[in-house]
Amino acid sequence: MACGPSPTPGGYSVTPTEPLARPAAGQAAVRPPLPVKLVIAGGFGVGKTTAVGSISEIEPLTTEAAITEVAAGVDDLSHTPRKTTTTVAMDFGCITIDPTLKLYLFGTPGQERFGFMWDDIVEGAVGGLVIVDTRRLDDCYAAVDYFEHRQIPFAVAVNAFDGKVEHSLDEVRWALDVSEGVPVLVFDARERGSVRDALLVVLEQALARSGG
Amino acid sequence: MADGQSPHGPGEEPLAPAGPVGPAPAVRPFLVTAGRVAGAGEAASGRAMPVETQLVATTEGIDALGRLSFEQHDIVAACRVPQSIAEIAARLRLHLNVVRVLAEDLRSVGQLSVHVPDSGVTHDASVLRRVIDGLRAIPDSRGVLRDSD
Ligand SMILES: Nc1nc2c(ncn2[C@@H]2O[C@H](COP(=O)(O)OP(=O)(O)OP(=O)(O)O)[C@@H](O)[C@H]2O)c(=O)[nH]1
Ligand SMILES: [Mg+2]
Repeated sequence: MACGPSPTPGGYSVTPTEPLARPAAGQAAVRPPLPVKLVIAGGFGVGKTTAVGSISEIEPLTTEAAITEVAAGVDDLSHTPRKTTTTVAMDFGCITIDPTLKLYLFGTPGQERFGFMWDDIVEGAVGGLVIVDTRRLDDCYAAVDYFEHRQIPFAVAVNAFDGKVEHSLDEVRWALDVSEGVPVLVFDARERGSVRDALLVVLEQALARSGG
Repeated sequence: MADGQSPHGPGEEPLAPAGPVGPAPAVRPFLVTAGRVAGAGEAASGRAMPVETQLVATTEGIDALGRLSFEQHDIVAACRVPQSIAEIAARLRLHLNVVRVLAEDLRSVGQLSVHVPDSGVTHDASVLRRVIDGLRAIPDSRGVLRDSD
């Protein structure tokens, strides 16, 4: 049920993650890997889940993403009608790099109106991949804006549905008005190698940003 | 227990409860955390545990499994192998924020260890290079490595 092989206890000396605070008594029975997070964003139905599934070592898992209005007055147990929570599916997968390091891929919900809860998913991410369907370019503006404003390294990946791209990459770049340093590429969300290469482009962006 | 409306007490057996199991799933999260929900405001200010935060059972937690009930039991049991908050939420069908609250509870009694990734470390060039190298080693669906074509 674990996502990938479990780390060997004591198998390495570097501490990849620091416990939030040392528990009163308990020690983690096993040392967890350091989780590195990438976010897969884009409009509705552009192939985010497909991309995660192509490369994840587990079937993409789905969870309900953040609750909205914090449900003040949650002690009111009969409050279903005035419930102000929204649940949306967020799916994710992972790739074990080695027992000490694991890459997580999180797909944001596609609809623009869920932008408010991206923070909950994106917090701490090293980079983002914005997937674009050239037949519906404007669907990805929200994601592009989001990463630009937060200065999160990202790349734009045009998903070539049926091998066809309706616009050239230059046209896409022009239409999205992304800055020069942002890579724009074509990929196939169903192809593991293609998704891998798109993620590598994002990671290279992140590496350049880190000064490495 | 008033028809499933009180949090499950620590003394209760994690066996199938008699009668209604509780309110609708949409309301249930607020019950298991006794009304507390990690707020969206926390996330915005960067204080909420990121979704990839790793949870690991402690030996105390594993020893206490027989005394834990329901969600607490399931979380500690699942975390015998390290799991992210998101994985636990998905596998146990709980809200992310419920998992955050329960994880903090279990941590405070020493039954779970909570590993929040240090953003400085995950963004470090040496870490990113290791991820890049690891990813490059993944063959495509035809078994072709990135650097061999
Ligand atoms: N022909 C073709 N179909 C694709 C491709 N990528 C995805 N699809 C299909 O497009 C549909 C939507 O893909 P998803 O991966 O579910 O898209 P998504 O972005 O996760 O969608 P939401 O989560 O609903 O926003 C599915 O039926 C996929 O099988 C592609 O490259 N080519
Ligand atoms: Mg999807």
